[in-house]
Amino acid sequence: MAEQTLNIPQILVFIVVTVLAVRWFFSKSSTDSNSSNSSTRPTRTSPRINAAQIEQIAQMFPQLERRSIAWELFRNGGNVQAVTEKVLSGRGLETPPPTFTVPTPAPRSAPTPSSHTSTPKPATKPDLIARYNLSSKISSQNQQNEDGEQKPTKQKVWSQDRNERQTILQRRREEMILAARRKMEEKDREAKA
Amino acid sequence: MASSASKRLFKEYKSLSSDPPEGITAGPVSEDDMFLWEALIQGPEGTPFEGGVFPAELKFPKDYPLAPPKMKFLVDVWHPNVYANGEVCISILHPPGDDPHHYEQASERWSPIQSVEKILISVMSMLAEPNDESPANVDAARMWREKRGQYEDIVRKNVRTSLGL
Repeated sequence: MAEQTLNIPQILVFIVVTVLAVRWFFSKSSTDSNSSNSSTRPTRTSPRINAAQIEQIAQMFPQLERRSIAWELFRNGGNVQAVTEKVLSGRGLETPPPTFTVPTPAPRSAPTPSSHTSTPKPATKPDLIARYNLSSKISSQNQQNEDGEQKPTKQKVWSQDRNERQTILQRRREEMILAARRKMEEKDREAKA
Repeated sequence: MASSASKRLFKEYKSLSSDPPEGITAGPVSEDDMFLWEALIQGPEGTPFEGGVFPAELKFPKDYPLAPPKMKFLVDVWHPNVYANGEVCISILHPPGDDPHHYEQASERWSPIQSVEKILISVMSMLAEPNDESPANVDAARMWREKRGQYEDIVRKNVRTSLGL
């Protein structure tokens, strides 16, 4: 009798625990499979590496194969810095397994060999005058120059207003470039004279 | 994390604007994004870079200042420590911890006590004194070592082109 009264609550507790455990187990495995589906499927079809990163490294090291670069990026989770450091340290990149395919075809067919020859290519980037839209200010600066060196007035360097800050910064940039250009032109004139 | 990073960047922007180092102008391209800056660095005097102004882009990671920014010149810079795409390769821009090269001292590398100002000053002195132990541009490094005159001619030519002359 005493045994029975002890057993019934024990059995009840056992059943409740079992039911909860089974439910928890099933719910866990179903969410598991959901989450694993959603996380692994995209990585299998399109790994985290992207063509831009491959391109970036290929431009730095034209001697490397794109496939090796892609494989290295794939293995380290898309860390460009790590790949470049590995290459620079002299440790070569591993050859990717034959099953590995580059996710997206590289936009450019082959690295241009001219980028690595000893004669640098002519400047392709826009010059500072074009970059900062300063062509109109060059002529006016020359005008001021003839009146004598214009003394830079003590300017405000920091403002509480964000737009004003932006303007101050822009003006400082422009002045720096224009001053450099003026100096260079003066030097040219001296050289000619 | 991101907000503490942009707070720190804002503080650095303010101090760089209030007390700018000689020959350096730097700040965010737009305050909407504190993680992208543009800097102008003057070529150091007494070097072939003298007279030039070199724009560079600084991209900060979201966990700045734990990790260093990346810096890239926006004009052609012919220099042993600048990649063909403009990216600057000096020790202060390398995170501590991994040191595959084994020659940089930990004190030269990036740490949160460094700053944008220190990076820009380091880059300025890098222009004057290339480090050819770890060339990013092998051809420029070789030219700098073997044909100094030719190297300086290219640098001077680039300076003039970048100023639109």
